[in-house]
Amino acid sequence: MSSSASDVAPRRPLLAGRGLLWEAVILAVGVGLFFLFPYDLGFLSRILIMIVFVLSLDLVLGYAGVATLGQAAMYGTGAYAAGLIAIHVTASPLLGLAAGAVAGAGIAFVSGLVLMRAHGLTLLMLSIAVAQVLQEVANKARPLTGGADGLRGIRMDPILGLWEFDFIGRAGYWYVLTVLILVLLFLKVVVNSPLGLSARGIQESPERMRAIGTPVYWRLVWIYTIAGGIAGVAGALAAQVTALVSLEVFNFDHSAEALIMLVLGGAGRLYGAVVGVAIFMLVEHVAAAVDPFNWLFLIGALVLAVVFFVPAGLLGLPKALTGLVRR
Amino acid sequence: MRRLTKELALATAAALALAGGAWADVIKVGVIAPTSGPYATYGTQFRTGVDTYQAIHGHEVDGDTVEFIWRDSGGVNPDQARSHAQELIIREGVDYLAGFTFTPNALAVAQIIDQSQTPTVIFNAATSIITEESGFFVRPSFTLWQVSAPLAEWAHGQGIEEVVIAVSDYNPGIDAETGFRTAFEAAGGTVLDTIRMPLATTDFAPFMQRVRDAGPDAVFAFLPAGPPTFAFVKAYNDNGLPGAGVQLLGTGETDETTLEALGDAALGVYTAYHYSPDHDSPENEAFLAKLFELHPDAVPNFSTVQAYDGAHVIYEMIRAAGTDGPAAIEAVKGLEWISPRGPVQIDPETRHITQNVYIREVVRDEDGQLVNREFETIEAVPDLGLVNDY
Amino acid sequence: MGTLLNILVDGVAYGMILFMISVGLSVTMGLMRVINLAHGGFAMLGGAGVHYLGARLGLPFVPAALLAIGAVVALAVPMERVLYRPIYRMGELQQVLATIGITFLMIASVNLWLGSTLLAIPLPDAWSGTVDLGFRSLPMHRLIVIGAGLATALGLWALIDRTGYGIRLRAAVDNRATASALGIDTGRIFAITFALGAGLAAFGGILGAELLPVDAYYPLRYMVHFLIVVAVGGMGSITGSFLAALGLGILDTTARYMVPDFGTIFFFLVTILVLALRPQGLLGRAA
Repeated sequence: MSSSASDVAPRRPLLAGRGLLWEAVILAVGVGLFFLFPYDLGFLSRILIMIVFVLSLDLVLGYAGVATLGQAAMYGTGAYAAGLIAIHVTASPLLGLAAGAVAGAGIAFVSGLVLMRAHGLTLLMLSIAVAQVLQEVANKARPLTGGADGLRGIRMDPILGLWEFDFIGRAGYWYVLTVLILVLLFLKVVVNSPLGLSARGIQESPERMRAIGTPVYWRLVWIYTIAGGIAGVAGALAAQVTALVSLEVFNFDHSAEALIMLVLGGAGRLYGAVVGVAIFMLVEHVAAAVDPFNWLFLIGALVLAVVFFVPAGLLGLPKALTGLVRR
Repeated sequence: MRRLTKELALATAAALALAGGAWADVIKVGVIAPTSGPYATYGTQFRTGVDTYQAIHGHEVDGDTVEFIWRDSGGVNPDQARSHAQELIIREGVDYLAGFTFTPNALAVAQIIDQSQTPTVIFNAATSIITEESGFFVRPSFTLWQVSAPLAEWAHGQGIEEVVIAVSDYNPGIDAETGFRTAFEAAGGTVLDTIRMPLATTDFAPFMQRVRDAGPDAVFAFLPAGPPTFAFVKAYNDNGLPGAGVQLLGTGETDETTLEALGDAALGVYTAYHYSPDHDSPENEAFLAKLFELHPDAVPNFSTVQAYDGAHVIYEMIRAAGTDGPAAIEAVKGLEWISPRGPVQIDPETRHITQNVYIREVVRDEDGQLVNREFETIEAVPDLGLVNDY
Repeated sequence: MGTLLNILVDGVAYGMILFMISVGLSVTMGLMRVINLAHGGFAMLGGAGVHYLGARLGLPFVPAALLAIGAVVALAVPMERVLYRPIYRMGELQQVLATIGITFLMIASVNLWLGSTLLAIPLPDAWSGTVDLGFRSLPMHRLIVIGAGLATALGLWALIDRTGYGIRLRAAVDNRATASALGIDTGRIFAITFALGAGLAAFGGILGAELLPVDAYYPLRYMVHFLIVVAVGGMGSITGSFLAALGLGILDTTARYMVPDFGTIFFFLVTILVLALRPQGLLGRAA
């Protein structure tokens, strides 16, 4: 998970040449899947949304090295914001996304002011507590949120006024895929910006960064806020595609699963999130279909296997090998 | 290129044949229910219910084979319920959907079943509003209003004048609270205190203190079945409420799957519900006989019989309309039959089941097993909750 | 007044359960700096064991409980050796993940073994009912729990303060490298502590089954509660765990009596406040 300084340095010059290769590959795979699995667009859309969510965690954890278990707080806030905007203000999907991003970022900023001062177990507990409080608030605000029945009555307008959300999920799939690519591009800019680079520096050594005059705390708060905005976008996407938001968006399981998927793929690499989510959800999907009663065994074993044998995540394998060759 | 066109044409024809259903010989029903996680019991119960129905009534309706396809929804997960429904309708080509333990999961498919005109039979999810969200929902389960309001009237008739209401702080709890309060106050009773308990709580001693302090004739409770109901009934006894003359009134708290675990603590609890396996009727006897023949270890409860009746509703829709969704929904309105729980009817207005509600007491039967023994019947209760505000 | 006393008794009983289950977690976390999310699993396994021995095989409660606790300890020792040793050396994140994985495996095992329904623990008849203290009658079960909790706290205090093991343990918690350099076998100290913690968790899980009912998903349901006790008390501090468990137990119980509608929010807000003011916990040393 930790990356050495030499890992960061050669990355910038390479940007120009290899720059958009990964994005192009992901886009191509996304388009290909649409035609290969026309019957599974609902499931595929869920994977893409989860990737957006895990990417937000990657920014916090993979780049800034802050381990949290409460990313669902921002996801859930974004989902409710998008749902409420759609019902009460405008059914435009893009404005809903914006609302989700703003709401997620807002919650992240406010809670980040407290969270980013803490470390280790305390930070984990604080992040869980924030999500729990929000879940309880959503439950109490029953007239507004629908409580445990879920927020219903979301009817989205066509995307850009052109593409209607259909029950097969075609429009939804293209919409989610487009947003995912845009989020990836945005994150690429962020992680290579001075802010992103200082986040990597903080992960390696907060003391050193402090010594060279970096305002560590504020940098972390900003990173957390940006990540919160992206988690909010993921929540908003889910709310729009499912047309329902339930209290479970704030669940602890949700944050924990995102963490598992991220480490499975490899934290600190944007494509790790993509690979991790795809593999985890596929395994879960297949295992749940094969043995709906005992698939938790497989998930538990998978998690342990990754942590014990490929701690850098699946994407760490080839990278470690090429690193050896180059040397 | 020409070959491709030909293949496409063939595929389209095949798809049309399936969709039209004129010559279909397999009619598929997609069931979305939890088979993993803390609520896996529902999935097990649904499956035994459906199995039993098919074992008694055969796997065919008018020569067409009825096939049930199961999908795991885990817990409350509307995103997943929706994508399962999409996949079942588009890929598996199901003509009917069924299952749904939780309200959000059911609500998440409302738009889909409207657009695809798929009749959807709710096996459990008990919030009144569900059937209003789509004209393709049919619900042969129950709502909390349906069981808690009759209980309130009965209790008042028994001379219980003052109650405390204690419910879990989520929508089903609020439904039960509103249903009970409305009926109890209309009958002339007084609600001394209303306690909404955090959903995650399993230590109920503080609430029992409050109940005791209020000194009512009875406490009406609603909690989700499982650890909370278990701990609640224990706390009711441990804190000496039976001795203080406070009667416990409930609905599903003495559910058969947790009843043995409760042990003697449950004796003497009064509940109102729509089904007890102890129900005395030939239909129930036949149902249980077949069920235990297939699954000797099964512990049947309300959700088993709801799935059994759900399968009946689906069979009747197929018999009347084959795979024509709108016609099937028309056919099911007003459908009457004798269920293992007693005589029932699908209300033509709400598409919800009208059924008897029974007042029961927990007793030990002849074999020493704890059972919910019905001793009074409130006949033909519709869903009372379709007028419902917070 | 009487009501207040009852709330206090209930709160203390609840706190004692939290203490018994969490104390082992606190000490092991303080000792090895390992974040162990699977600890509640040992409480669940204890409860499941008593359910199996008591309700299914018909053993009386006391031998069933002793056997179950013994089994949990017997399981914890090899688990520590095989699974946890490599985990100590991992980063914080990998620790969280590995122990979540272990939690999943525990849940799946119990689910396969005993199903996903509630696992009732048949208590002796003498434990139910109420005890008349003259001025007040209190539930017997709560009194037993409080007594067991106090005995555990005293026993632990004696063990830590009066025995050679305790001296070595304290040295290892304070500074592992130095203790190791002084010839203390920290690996062995940790193995013993881990097994002790698991046994105590099983004990607490069994005694607390009336308050925190046992089923396969127990470790996930109550994970946050146990971890909050450790975080608030301060890692590695037994006194801290005791104070935090009692404080949170009483706070939670009182909040549920006074403001049941906002009990959960109140509990977590207080937790956030305490941790924001004292990130290292009440009695934890600043990192």
